[in-house]
Amino acid sequence: MNRYLKSIVVLTAICGVIAILLSATNFVTAPIIKQNENAAANKALLEVMPEGKEFTLVDISSYELPDTVTSVYEESSGGYVVQLTTAGYSTGLVIMCGVDKTGAVTGATCLASGETLGAEKTYGDKTVGKTIEDIDSVDTVASITRTTEAYRNAVKDALNTAIILGGGSVDLRSDEEILADNLDAALHAAGGKFTPWFMVEELEGVAAVYKADNGSGMVITYNGNFYGIDSAGSVLGEADEATKTLIADYAKKVNSSKVNSFSASSYELPAAILKTEKTASGNYVFEVKASGFGINGDSYYNPSGEPIIIKASVTRGGKIIACQTLSQKESEGYGSQCAEPEFYTQFSGKDETNYKEIDAISGATITTNGYVTAVGRVIEAVNIIEGRAK
Amino acid sequence: MKKDGNLSVLLRGLLVENPVFVLVLGTCPTLATTQTVIGAFAMGLAAMAVLICSNVVISLLRKVIPDTVRIPCYIVIIAGFVTVVQMFMHAFLPELYELLGVYLALITVNCIILGRAEMFASKNSVARSALDGVGMGLGFTIALLLMATVREVLGAGSFAGIAIPFIKDHTIGIFTQAPGGLLVYGLLIFAVTAITQGRAPKKKSFGCEGCPSAANCSACMGKEEA
Repeated sequence: MNRYLKSIVVLTAICGVIAILLSATNFVTAPIIKQNENAAANKALLEVMPEGKEFTLVDISSYELPDTVTSVYEESSGGYVVQLTTAGYSTGLVIMCGVDKTGAVTGATCLASGETLGAEKTYGDKTVGKTIEDIDSVDTVASITRTTEAYRNAVKDALNTAIILGGGSVDLRSDEEILADNLDAALHAAGGKFTPWFMVEELEGVAAVYKADNGSGMVITYNGNFYGIDSAGSVLGEADEATKTLIADYAKKVNSSKVNSFSASSYELPAAILKTEKTASGNYVFEVKASGFGINGDSYYNPSGEPIIIKASVTRGGKIIACQTLSQKESEGYGSQCAEPEFYTQFSGKDETNYKEIDAISGATITTNGYVTAVGRVIEAVNIIEGRAK
Repeated sequence: MKKDGNLSVLLRGLLVENPVFVLVLGTCPTLATTQTVIGAFAMGLAAMAVLICSNVVISLLRKVIPDTVRIPCYIVIIAGFVTVVQMFMHAFLPELYELLGVYLALITVNCIILGRAEMFASKNSVARSALDGVGMGLGFTIALLLMATVREVLGAGSFAGIAIPFIKDHTIGIFTQAPGGLLVYGLLIFAVTAITQGRAPKKKSFGCEGCPSAANCSACMGKEEA
């Protein structure tokens, strides 16, 4: 018994002495470690806000901030340094961004990155001096578009954070959420389920038409406003009489619009034209094949070998009404961006004289050229059918 | 058995019983922290500090610590000193603390330290144990420095972070990675064995008397009975 007791006593005593030794060491070193950590944190803070003096960690739990924000420091003169974690091309980025009291970026740096390229290290310099009004004007970098876009969005989130903490209000919803909310507000009976209607009629001032999946009506976006039209054709919500009349007229056109097959075998159309249709009002709808990076890309990058298929509606006069990507297998992160509405809706309203005047996607020149050529083929086809071919 | 002199205790860790190249102990930190000379030097000094302190304390308590709980006692003492070293490095040498990372805490389970506690400090006086700690610690540090010098010079073209003209433009990257570390390790073991002509260690040093599991080992008990 004594043997066991001695073992317990000795082991306990050693543990006790070691615990005292560790406590004493901690007593000496803890303040210095804390001081070192603050100095290291301040070094990073000063990098993005060189004029800063004292920084205080802000308790952000009571604020509704962008999801990317992980911590915020307030500078004594009124600016903020925001740390954010954002998704990039692969593992994402940890960004620290300084915003002064006037709402301009004082500096941005990438603290950690798992991305494949290193240009994100200096991208922050491009955002210095920008405010929430002009941050979108900072160009992304070709070949690392997604990474730099994520970086720019993080800086934008930092600017919004500074506005919120300064007492201002910011709409933090994503573009998709804003669209869904606007559609629901315009036509609540649809239950939030809409399908975009491919525009085959020229409706001046109309950016898009969304048809309710349950047949309860449609929503027309006219001059930036959302107008709900019920199944009886009545325009819902507030609008002046002239606008209501116009919207109701547009809704009738949408409902009466029919696309019929059209045989163009008697015309010698470009080989890229795959399918031809025509509306009752005389507009044309074509499916056209385009050669992008999948066909023309350097074999080193292992292109998909697949063409881009585009659907385009065009007036008899040769003006593009709408354009849409039906399928494409372009490079992920580069040419794939051309499949987004932000790119192909640029062709709406264009004709033979100006269809090439669009903003190309940086890093996706071959895909962009493919789209432009295909739209040119559509206009050429209409000119042939309408007898205007040169 | 006649005891070795104090000078012999101090010096044998340097070459004849070098813990890395002869006893082949502490291989994990040896490979992990020898990418740079500075990291290797810091690791060597940290391990030497722990080795000296733990040897001294274990030697002091060798008559107090019961056999049945000696290993837990040694671990508590070693872990305590490792934590103290860790805290001091964190406070006063933060860059080295970051450089060594997890390997600093892993000194706790470094077999050189536990091995010397069990083989030497628990059987010898405080002064001799301290000398053993210094000798083995120096041996460990020198071994790490040798490996790190070869790896950093050939792999990164620098020495202690200072670029070496010409070599910096003709580096052999594999030396900074694990395969290169193993290659250098093997070559240095070969060199040390050639120098010592394979005389050390003596087999009897690793007999049952030095084995931590001797008390519970049936083979050992069988020998004693015989």
